[in-house]
Amino acid sequence: MAPALTEDVPIPREWREEFEAAARRPLAERFRYAFIRTYKPILDDAPFRAFDTMKDYRRWCEENLPDWLGYGRI
Amino acid sequence: MAAFEYRQAEEIREAFARHAVRYLFIGKSGAILLGFPDTTQDADIFVEKDVRNGRALVAALRELRFDLSPEQAAEVERGKDFVQLKNGPFDLDLVFAPDGIERFEDAWARRVDVEGFPVCHIDDIIASKAASNRQKDRESLPRLRSFRQFWLERRR
Repeated sequence: MAPALTEDVPIPREWREEFEAAARRPLAERFRYAFIRTYKPILDDAPFRAFDTMKDYRRWCEENLPDWLGYGRI
Repeated sequence: MAAFEYRQAEEIREAFARHAVRYLFIGKSGAILLGFPDTTQDADIFVEKDVRNGRALVAALRELRFDLSPEQAAEVERGKDFVQLKNGPFDLDLVFAPDGIERFEDAWARRVDVEGFPVCHIDDIIASKAASNRQKDRESLPRLRSFRQFWLERRR
């Protein structure tokens, strides 16, 4: 079971406006805005990768991907 | 490779339904289906790990024109924890054991239907991102938690 998230969190006004604007858009339009293709070095350079465990995958990311991609664990 | 498109999500939905694949959209692509306004690159699919589902998944992926060798198909069928596909018409990440979610069945019970797309509940998406503890996920969590609040308000 995922941990229950029960606490209320504030919604900054700017974000609320963005959420409301998105909620008014049809799903297909939301897709157009949301999915953007940019090349990610190394990660995008193989057609197929499979990892036995998530731990293996995380380790591979940390050892092979540039830090600025943000795949490293904190 | 072009960006993932709505019609391709529809193709996944239809092919997976034809083959009775049990899956859920997860990650940022799942959040986007729920209405979260943000950007991402590819779709993340949480797939139930069992033999029947693995075979069905491979059949559906081949129908979608993913070019899987016999060895790659076997790895997908076995349900390796994480499989990254860039050998088809769009990029797809298959996650069989996402961080922060213990069992597929639990996430399935909490799923949200968005126009026929089975999507993880926002709490599972957040739990998974929080547990992965990556820089890029950490950065998106405050906005995702605010979106959760907004999403729950709208459902009340």
